[in-house]
Formats: sequence, structure tokens, C-alpha cells
Amino acid sequence: MEYLLHILVLTGIYIILTLSLNLIVGYTGLPALGHAAFSCIGAYTSSLLALNMGVTPWIGLVIGASVAAISGIVIGYPAVRLKGDYLALATFGLGVIVYSIVKNWVSLTRGPMGLPGIPGFSVFGFQLSEIWSYLILVALFVFLTYFTIRRIVNSPFGRILRGIREDEIATLAMGKDVDRYKILIFVIGAFFAGIAGSLYAHYITFIDPSSFTVMESITILLMVVFGGMGSLSGSFIGASILVIFPELLRFLGMPSSVAAPLRQMIYGLLLIILMLKRPQGILGRYKLR
Amino acid sequence: MIQQLILNGIIAGSIYALIALGFTIIYRTVKFFHFAHGVVYTAGAYLTYSVFSYLLSGTSNQLSVIGWGIAILIGIVGAGVLGIFIDRFIYHPLRRQKASNLTFLLASFGVFIFLQNLIQLIYGAQILTIRTGPIKEGHQIFNAVITDIQILILFVSCWLLVVLWLFIQRTKLGKAMRAVADDPIAANVVGINPERIILTSFAIGSALAGAAGILISFETNIEPTMGFNALLKGIIASIVGGIGSIPGAMFGGFFLGIAENLGIWKIQAGWKDCIAFAILIVFLLLRPGGIWGVKTEKERL
Repeated sequence: MEYLLHILVLTGIYIILTLSLNLIVGYTGLPALGHAAFSCIGAYTSSLLALNMGVTPWIGLVIGASVAAISGIVIGYPAVRLKGDYLALATFGLGVIVYSIVKNWVSLTRGPMGLPGIPGFSVFGFQLSEIWSYLILVALFVFLTYFTIRRIVNSPFGRILRGIREDEIATLAMGKDVDRYKILIFVIGAFFAGIAGSLYAHYITFIDPSSFTVMESITILLMVVFGGMGSLSGSFIGASILVIFPELLRFLGMPSSVAAPLRQMIYGLLLIILMLKRPQGILGRYKLR
Repeated sequence: MIQQLILNGIIAGSIYALIALGFTIIYRTVKFFHFAHGVVYTAGAYLTYSVFSYLLSGTSNQLSVIGWGIAILIGIVGAGVLGIFIDRFIYHPLRRQKASNLTFLLASFGVFIFLQNLIQLIYGAQILTIRTGPIKEGHQIFNAVITDIQILILFVSCWLLVVLWLFIQRTKLGKAMRAVADDPIAANVVGINPERIILTSFAIGSALAGAAGILISFETNIEPTMGFNALLKGIIASIVGGIGSIPGAMFGGFFLGIAENLGIWKIQAGWKDCIAFAILIVFLLLRPGGIWGVKTEKERL
């Protein structure tokens, strides 16, 4: 039961990540391959604040998400200059740089040793220690993210985003500052990814750079593409299936030396089949450009 | 110290140049980033390792020259065949659907993840070594130490670079490859089958990746994840040299190798990747055409 709840909490965190990446990739049509970098920044900021300065996780979460959002300006900047594969490569590179900084700045982040003993959330002086309380917390944030992003995509602002995806030059001709919107969408996406990272850190209570590799970014992108580009319910489905399904492998009684690569192999195979048979994902209406 | 760093940079650079050259040969004909190139590199090294340990188990503890030749040949040919398979079964159907570049990119990521983990499943995640005999003390040149294996790597990779350059510039098949790279439709009109040329490019490019993987496995250990970094360095080298340009890819490889190693003169070795990617970002943003300013796809239209 504990295990089941744990998987559900992780699913919730991935849903937040998938929704926020869908905003960038699915709705605005910008191929971003560095999403784990944002959650990494959020996670490390709020963990370090909690460990070194005793900042409560609630405030840490907000600061972490804000720092991630600011980093979105830097990581999103290439979107102004580059398109398509080149943008994918640039965001990918920035993802590796963030990972590399976290891994090598040992005096601050303890590098590959990771940060143990990150305090959990507390409500009115009560420490949240039960898993179900985290499930409620994460569910709350999933709802908040979903609601905000739904408001964004259905607003005039969201129409501009879709305009950028469908025809950038036409949107520009309508007098919209496309560059500013592109950066802004990275900032918003990064903010929510920062929340997800911070939630993860305070829930697991231990983080190390290996949780935020580029492969992680690709996994999140796979969830977006699998569920459907530009479909919010698709993001729920994509994240849920791709988190829960590989966990079933554990029940087949495989040793982890077999289960871990097998899980990745399934991801890889799924990506190939998806690209060959249904590049727009299960619920998506738009193909990758 | 600085001589040693430059020498290390040249050796690393020669491997990067090989990977970048293979990557570029493929990129020129298909015009998308073939990420699975990295896993072909790993596969080449592992194939050679398998043949090597199979042959070694039959005989005494030292392998003959013929045994080595067989092991290396199977590694290189195997890598080439793997490249052909990837193109036939994944990229070819995508081409027929006229898929977007990003679809190709993600599919190649899928191939990369799948094959890398398949290798890990078969051989395990641990480090393996191809021992080439007792470790000898290196030679002293210009205040820098170079080992026999490193001389071999440098020699073989430079030889391969020259041979490939001549092949593309002087032979008929090389000319056809250049034609398809320039304009596939016009090439088709004059009777060149683009699909055949794409397959040839995949075979040659992948064989080069396999050769690079085998060369590096003599110098260091092999592990299933080795292809990822190598691939990224290869891509960075191709972009620095100007994407799609063959001399550019060679130059970019050496440039990246030396820049990376000079960078760790002043800062810790762990920052090597960071330096490489910082170079990538700077080039992408400020000079996407590489040092000599190759025209990118967008400008050509």
C-alpha cells in the first residue's frame, strides 16, 4: 500500500512536469530538451535554503520555482535565435551544463554525494511524514498547475502561443512580440518544473545530480509526446502510463540489474513506435514540426 | 604541462574527429541529427570485445595479429551493418511518411536508448577492458608522454580521416554522395539513386563510429553508457567546424579536444563537459555556421 501511494506521488510530480513541458513543446511548438534542468534548479534551491538557512519548505518551494523561472530566461533565450533541431540541441546542451554545474560545484551541492536529510513539509507545526499526506499535497499542486495552465492555454495569451506554433511569421505580422512570448513561456514552464523539483526534493528528502540527467528530460518529453502534443488530458495519461507501467516490471520478480535496463528499453521502443505510427501521441492533434 | 595537455587534446580530438566525420557523412545526406550514432560507436567497441574474449578463451593468454584483425574487422563491419539496419527499419519508413526533423530526432533518441540498454542488459553495467598486453612506459616527446597505444590511435585515426577525404573527393561514389548532399532531387535526375547513397552513407559513417569506439577501447575501458558523451562531442565538433562540412568536422574534432584539455589546465577535470557545451552554446547562438560559416539549411532556401 505504501508503495502504491509512493508511485502515485511520483506520478503526480511527473504530471506537473509533463503539463509544464507541454506548454512549451505542445502549445508553443518549441522543442525543449532541458526540462529536467528546471526541476533540478528548483529542487537544489529549496533544499539548500532549507538545509543551510532553515527556510521552511513552503517558502523554499516558492523561491525555488522563482529561481527556476529566472533560469528559464537564460535557457529559453536560444528559442529566440534558433529553430527546430538546433533549438533542441541548444536546450539539450544547457541541460547538460546545469547538470554538470550541480555535479561539480561540490562546495555548494556536495556533488555526486547528493544532499541528504532535506526536511519535509509541515502544516501548522505538524510535520508531514505519512505518504498519504504527501499524496494530498502533490494532488493539490497538480490541480493548481492544471488549472493555471488550462487558464493560460484558453486565454488570448494561449491563442498567441498556438499562433507561434502554427505560423510564427503570421503571428509576428499581427503585431505580437513573438520573441518575448517565447521567453515568457519558458519562464512559466520553468516555474512549474521548479515546483515539481522542489516537491520531489522535500518528499524524497534526498537529491543528487543523477535524478536530473538529460535522459530525465527526454523521459519527460516522451511523456508529453506519448500523451499528446497540445493536450492537457494527454499529459495526465502520458505521465501516468509511463510512470506506472514500468513499475509493473518489478512484480515480475526481476532483479534490478535486469529491470532497470528493461524499463529504459521499453521507453526507447515506445518512442520509436510512437514516431513511426502516431507522432502526435495518443490524444494529440498536432504533429512535431 | 601545457605540452602534455595539448598532446592529450590532439589524441582526444582525433577520436572526436572520427565520430564527427561519421556523423557529418550521415547528416549531409539525411539532414537530421542522427543521435543513435553514439550507440553504434558503443556497439563497435562491444562487438570487438566479444570476439576478442571469445578468441582469447580458446588460446593462451596472448592473441595473434590475425586474431586482433578479425576482432577489429568484425567490430567495424558490425557497426556499419547496424547503421544500415537502423536506416532501413526506422529512418526509411519515416522518410516515406515525410516526417519532420524533430520526429527523426526523437526516433533516433529512441534507438539510442533502446540499444544502449540492450547492451547493458547483455553485458552488464560494469566496466570491461580489452587488455592489449602489459602496460609499457610511454615515450618522451616535447616534454610530454605518449604511450604506444596513443601513437596507434593518432596514426590510425589520421589515416582514416585522410582516406575518407580522398574517397569523397576522388571516387565516383564519393562524388555521388556529394551530389546527394547538395541536392537530392537533381542527383536523382542524373541517375543517382538517393536511397542507395543514404544507405552507403550510413554504412560508412557507422563503420567510422565503430572504428572510433574500438580505438578508444584500447586506451580506456568500455561501458554501455560510453556512447552518449562521445556522440555529444562528435555533434559539438561538427557544429564548431560547420555542420555538413567534412573538413570542418575534422577540424572541429581537434579544436574541441584541445580546447577541452586546455580548459582543465586552470580548472578541475570534472568541468570538461561544461566547457564543451559552453562552446556549443556560444557557437549555436553567435556563429551557427561554424568557424568558417557554412550556410545552414534555412539560409539556403
